[in-house]
Amino acid sequence: MPREIALLDALVPTLLFAFLISVFLSWALDWLFARVGLYRHIWYRALFRFAVFICMFSALGLLIY
Amino acid sequence: MAASTFRKSRLLLPLRSALRDWRREDAQTFIYIIKVLIACLLAMWLSLRFELDQPRTAMLTVAIVMQSRTGMVFAKSYYRLLGSIVGIIVSFVLVAMFAQERVLFLLSMAIWIGFCTAGSMVFRHHQSYAFVLAGYTICIVGLPATIYPELTFSIGVTRISEIMIGLISASLISDLIFPQRMGEVLTAAVRRRFKDFSDLLRSMSIEKISGPSSISATLRIVSDVFELETFRASSGLENDESRAYRFRLSMLNSEFMSVSTSFHTLEQLLRRQHATGHPVVVSALFNIYKPLKEIISIDNRSVNTEVEAQQIAAALKAFRATLPQQLSAIRKNLPDGLIAVERLDFETGAELLQRFIDELYAYTSTYASLSDENTDNRKDDIAEHPPRLGMHFDPLAVSLAGVRGALSLGAMACLWIFADWRSGVEAITIGIITSTLFASSPNPSKTVKQFIIGALLGTVLVYLCNFQMLPQAQGFLMLSIAVTPAIALAAWLTTRPAVATIGSGIFIIFLMHIGFNSAYSANPIVFMNDALADLLAIATSGILYALIDLTTSRWSRVRVSKALRELVVSACLDALPQHPARLEARARDLIQRLSSDRHVADTQDKEVIDWLLSTLEIGRAVIELRDQMNEVKVSEVRDSAIRQQLVACLESIAELYASPSTSNRMLAIAAINNAATMLEDIAIIANLTQFTHHQLLTMLHFIRCALLDEDSALSLQAPMPSNRQDIAYAA
Repeated sequence: MPREIALLDALVPTLLFAFLISVFLSWALDWLFARVGLYRHIWYRALFRFAVFICMFSALGLLIY
Repeated sequence: MAASTFRKSRLLLPLRSALRDWRREDAQTFIYIIKVLIACLLAMWLSLRFELDQPRTAMLTVAIVMQSRTGMVFAKSYYRLLGSIVGIIVSFVLVAMFAQERVLFLLSMAIWIGFCTAGSMVFRHHQSYAFVLAGYTICIVGLPATIYPELTFSIGVTRISEIMIGLISASLISDLIFPQRMGEVLTAAVRRRFKDFSDLLRSMSIEKISGPSSISATLRIVSDVFELETFRASSGLENDESRAYRFRLSMLNSEFMSVSTSFHTLEQLLRRQHATGHPVVVSALFNIYKPLKEIISIDNRSVNTEVEAQQIAAALKAFRATLPQQLSAIRKNLPDGLIAVERLDFETGAELLQRFIDELYAYTSTYASLSDENTDNRKDDIAEHPPRLGMHFDPLAVSLAGVRGALSLGAMACLWIFADWRSGVEAITIGIITSTLFASSPNPSKTVKQFIIGALLGTVLVYLCNFQMLPQAQGFLMLSIAVTPAIALAAWLTTRPAVATIGSGIFIIFLMHIGFNSAYSANPIVFMNDALADLLAIATSGILYALIDLTTSRWSRVRVSKALRELVVSACLDALPQHPARLEARARDLIQRLSSDRHVADTQDKEVIDWLLSTLEIGRAVIELRDQMNEVKVSEVRDSAIRQQLVACLESIAELYASPSTSNRMLAIAAINNAATMLEDIAIIANLTQFTHHQLLTMLHFIRCALLDEDSALSLQAPMPSNRQDIAYAA
């Protein structure tokens, strides 16, 4: 994968897209988890959300580099 | 043994309660300061790590968006991001168009700033803040870009990255470390409001109504409505409560508005009847009201929680069911000597009481339904969506605010160009920040005074930091230690409402001048110049706030009173269907803009509040009257006559509220009297349903009483003539 993408002739780091994708993914997951009721079993909701996000973002980052 | 334990626990008791107090009050502040510090340092570290130009922007962002409640941080972050992006895009456009011509550039900038200041007046809270940012981002990005046009794009991108870093650090820290959810605040606010309101209901008595109505209670009710709405909107971002819960809160808010208006109207009506009517009527109405006091209290106190409210809702429901019987029993017992007008007094009061109790029941049951968490969707499906609290503002005031913002930019720009002063850019930036940021505050002059104290303190602190501590600091740890005291002090100040602006002054000045970018870069001469520029700019915008005073002056109060009266005019004349809730929201919005402070209550405020109450009272009555008018069928000649007479009433009321004068007031009363006489006509009664007839008559009588009232807001501009009795009951 290229590390930078030319967006309208401006070089944008691919990591930024990875970031955006994981933000949207974690929103979707968050909605899903809330819907299923998973959060009732979780002690620290915010930390869990953050951890899920970090997992996804790191996975995507590792794909790029 | 037992005695000694007892003594020990007695000894420990004050200690324990002190500890509890500490945990409730001071510990929260302490945690908050720690959170601000951690978020600031995290933002600083990240920006240094990514080798961004100005770590200070990231830190400033943290300082600005940090608040004790997580939901508020999210909301503010979101709008800060939006505002910055818009501001950056606009500065790209402006640089692309006028990079060589600084006069044209500054002119178009002034227009943009004016537009943004106006926008920040129109919207509330965080939305308003987004406009402020869109305005001053253009200074931060656009102005340096005029000096180096080729760098515009990179300045913009760096700025947005720094802001993102700041926002992410602030949101993460406030979400992860001791998060304080909006939910608790919301529940507390809802409970407090219900308790306050039932205290108010419980305290009503014949002796009390003869006195003047309390302004502070009314103001508090108004500001509560909007405060709760903000809380509700911010809590939406926290994503913890169900949609149904938030929907119910919204319903609760609008129900509260109508029930508080009804209560006030009832109070006014009883006061009037107490002053002029037959004493039997007043005491009869009070006898109906009295059991209500018992019903809404448990163990002789107001209700504290939703669970207790469930009992009250049930009791209210039972009371409501027996009300018609009670009313007819009391009606029979009224002495025979009463004349028709006095009987009508009673009917009007009874009608109003019924409405009030219906609304109180709705409010209480919505409040009680907050407690059962398993989704109770019954109500949500049936009920229509509560009306949104829209934006209602005075176009003239808003455009003047825009002009003020543009003027302060103009003043600073002239100074920059004609004096050829290197710190002109700094002066423009701070000038714009202060002149847009405080435009929507209730008393900008006072806020600017506080801000300037904060700026002075900040300058001293940043001097100490830049030239005493930073030169000796090595490594990130020592850098953090150098910046910590000022940040902690400012964060502590922002937790105290009385001095919060001083705190934000320190934050802004300290973080804007802190002496390092990627490396140490403080220069005493530049620093002195910039510090002077800051103070000059803040003073200039302070002067402009004092010159174009849109909030505390007499003028603005007159404008608001006029706008309130316009609402009655539009309720009388505009096309149906009219929504009482919309009228309420508009009227309250106008007042709230005038004074978001709770403790403003001088005579001018009293006048405006009187107009508010009069508007709500008459406006609602007029809307109900018009609804009933629709029931009158125009099949016969006589029916159309009564219809025309009612329309004439509406027109004369509209005329009275458009331009209050004694003659207009007399005309309106005469028109109502005519309509009321016509309604007595047997032939017309035969054609109307009994319900419609009754409603029309009581509404007309109610409006007539309100117009006849000598203590109402109308009397200031349209005093009643001395021989009023003859006119009043001439019919």
